[in-house]
Amino acid sequence: MDWASILYLGVTFGLFIIFVLIVRYTYSRKNREQNEEAKYRMLDDD
Amino acid sequence: MEKPNYNTDIVRSFINWGIIWGLVSIMVGVIVSLQMVEPALNFPPYLTFGRLRPLHTNAGIYGWAVGTTFALFLYMVQRLCKTRLWSDKLARFQLWFFNATIITAAITLLLGYTTSKEYHELEWPVDIMVVILWVAFAINIIMTIIKRREEQMYISLWYMMASIVGVAILYIVDGAEVPVSLFKSYSAYAGTNDANVHWWFGHNAVAMVLTAPPLAMFYYVLPKSTGVPIYSHRMSIIAFWSLIFMYLWTGAHHLLWTPVPDWIQTLAMAFSVMLIAPSWGSVFNGYLSMRGQWHQMRENYLVKFLIIGITFYGLQTLQGPMQAIRSFSAFIHYTDWVPAHIHMGTMGWVSMIAFASIYYLVPRVYGRELYSVPLANLHFWLILIGQLIWTISLWIAGVLQAGMWTATNSDGSLAYSFMETMVEMYPYWWARVFGGIIFLFGVIVFIYNLVMTTRRGEVSPASERTAVEGRA
Amino acid sequence: MWERKPVLLLVLATAAIMVGTIVTMILPFAWVNTDADRIATVTPYNPLEQEGRDIYIREGCNNCHTQTIRPLVTEVLRYGDYSKSGEFVYDRPFLWGSKRTGPDLARIGGKYPDAWHYKHMESPRAMVPRSNMPDYGWLKNNLLDPQNIRHKMDVLGFPYEQAEIDALKGKNEMDAIVAYLQKLGTGIPWRKTAETLVVGELHNPYQDDLTVLDAGKALYMQHCAACHGEKLQGEIGPELTDLDMPDADLYQILFNGFPEDGMPPFSAIGSDRLWKMVNFLKNEAKH
Ligand code: HEM
Ligand code: HEM
Repeated sequence: MDWASILYLGVTFGLFIIFVLIVRYTYSRKNREQNEEAKYRMLDDD
Repeated sequence: MEKPNYNTDIVRSFINWGIIWGLVSIMVGVIVSLQMVEPALNFPPYLTFGRLRPLHTNAGIYGWAVGTTFALFLYMVQRLCKTRLWSDKLARFQLWFFNATIITAAITLLLGYTTSKEYHELEWPVDIMVVILWVAFAINIIMTIIKRREEQMYISLWYMMASIVGVAILYIVDGAEVPVSLFKSYSAYAGTNDANVHWWFGHNAVAMVLTAPPLAMFYYVLPKSTGVPIYSHRMSIIAFWSLIFMYLWTGAHHLLWTPVPDWIQTLAMAFSVMLIAPSWGSVFNGYLSMRGQWHQMRENYLVKFLIIGITFYGLQTLQGPMQAIRSFSAFIHYTDWVPAHIHMGTMGWVSMIAFASIYYLVPRVYGRELYSVPLANLHFWLILIGQLIWTISLWIAGVLQAGMWTATNSDGSLAYSFMETMVEMYPYWWARVFGGIIFLFGVIVFIYNLVMTTRRGEVSPASERTAVEGRA
Repeated sequence: MWERKPVLLLVLATAAIMVGTIVTMILPFAWVNTDADRIATVTPYNPLEQEGRDIYIREGCNNCHTQTIRPLVTEVLRYGDYSKSGEFVYDRPFLWGSKRTGPDLARIGGKYPDAWHYKHMESPRAMVPRSNMPDYGWLKNNLLDPQNIRHKMDVLGFPYEQAEIDALKGKNEMDAIVAYLQKLGTGIPWRKTAETLVVGELHNPYQDDLTVLDAGKALYMQHCAACHGEKLQGEIGPELTDLDMPDADLYQILFNGFPEDGMPPFSAIGSDRLWKMVNFLKNEAKH
């Protein structure tokens, strides 16, 4: 494999990892509350 | 916590002006659709199709869509941050500068001062006005968010921020040009480069002006209208990151089969198809929020606008990726199919959501209950039917046209001359005029309803403006 | 993390936006308009053509006409050789367009004689019945401003001669736009290479068949009458009332045209229609 292909694959893989990390972070049990809370709070003010 | 003293005056002004520019755009839309069937309706030099069509698109996108975006963002940012706007003065300035910009834009376009780049026709001095306007808006929104009194940021704020930086980057890079005189400039890029930069801009103007802001409104107004929270905030976060990441790769789907390098086209095609996922993430989020609430479709006119609006968004984001596939593009690109795609988006999605959001705001900014719900229902049906006549006839026309353009005789020669294909379009173009007039009529009903609201509507308990003020 | 920090969110959103931007918008500058896709025969616009181009932009012609031919069979047949990147290096801005309400113009240059364009711009329906293009005869009333055009050429850095600027005096906007149209797509000698040849023996399948005369006449009206007159009396092209030549030769003329003299080839409409026109023309000549 030439360097260009390795670079392409590397970047693609890196971006995918970032995506997985975002999903993990967002859906982690620890953050569940803080990531869902906003949808209730936006309703109380009126 | 005592209730902050929100600035609603500015919101009301932006709504009023947004509607005025929307009306201008739609009337000019009907005029250009008539010019396509009756060329005697061109009045040179100022009122020819070539000069009026950009006025229609600019008034639609920058007057109507952006005008209502300004209104809604200025409203939502205060509510979601539970604090008054950072600067009232800046917002006032933004309002008048917005109108000054749109008026200058309209006049210069009719005078023939144009760069020719679709959705970026405005010449350099007007470009500079747009940039100043956007900076004033951005500062106010961002500063308000920074000084908010609410820890978490609701998803609508995320879309607002993305659209603010997105538009800024796109507009400035695509606008790079070398002035020759006060109203004439040459693009900084040439030929294929210019095309590629421009459609990177063009498609993401769709993302940052016609997708992200209506999504911000949808995520806000739907739960507020139904009283039930959005199905999943976390899903909306994942959809958010994926959407803003993927959109930027897709510009070249407007340039399939052109001299733009193949690999860019292929990337655009792939990312366009992947875009279905985050787009439908929002659609599902909307539908799932309706669990147990579907009866509101019947009882609550706001919900009807919102759910039909998001449905058209769903259809739009299936049709779009289809058009981004090389083989399908070979067939329908350049035909009348594409304007139908556009108008399902602008009339069915953007306008539906904008109308719903304005109705939602009526008691909150005019201090009165809507004058007539039956009229709002009539408005709904007129704009829905008008839009469907418009788009369905042009989809049929586009397929017919594409079929005739590519038809060959047995000896390999062309089956139809260009004019033989063009004259077949006339009946469909007439149908569009008809659909457009129905849509326009719907908008007039809407405006009548709002005017009557300010005159006769019952004073609203939801208003925090005291009725004594009564100067709505 | 970012759910509570707006500035961080803004920075991250910008980063997300920049990835696709860098790959698909910035990187391509390394490939496009480089020496690899230069074409030696493609030249910048001369002052008159450049001014015509600016008028094309001012009038928004690009709202109805595209200027890129895709490498698809029927498209190449209809409009000519497909567009190459190197043909657009002097186009600021690009004018590829997105909607073909009218036909593509990427290779309109040299298809018709100037006289055709003057008449067509003045009154499109006189040349193309049922066209929906607006009339542009009023362009003739606007004289060009040579000094302004020279300034434009300087800004663009295009070469020009003083004589070319002097020659602009007294010319009007119509002259400019026609000059521009005649330049389009002529940067490569595609007409020569795209010439189709008739091979084998030519035989008129409608020999003495009077039933196709009406069809032939309709085709004549559609494709030829604008230049040769409705009664074949001749206008832009010569009169055709006393054609005296074998069917096969007449067929060859319609098929290949006389591109140098301004008559376009009609090979793309197919042999069946060409023979019907041959019958019609021959029949008229007898009377
Ligand atoms: C009564 C309603 C409307 C009518 C009759 C109408 C009519 C038209 C017509 C005739 C065209 C030109 C199509 C062509 O060149 O083939 C057009 C283009 C366009 N209109 Fe509308 N329109 C309407 C509403 C709107 C609204 C509300 C918006 C935006 C918010 C909008 C945005 C656009 C855009 C972006 C284009 C450019 C299409 C392209 O690039 O192909 N229109 N419209
Ligand atoms: C996943 C989402 C979408 C994709 C992949 C997509 C794809 C496309 C493609 C491929 C075209 C070019 C058609 C052609 O010229 O052959 C196009 C045109 C267009 N689309 Fe979409 N679309 C999407 C969503 C939307 C939405 C939500 C809107 C909102 C109104 C919209 C508005 C437009 C407009 C205004 C144009 C016309 C550009 C022009 O002037 O040529 N699209 N879209």
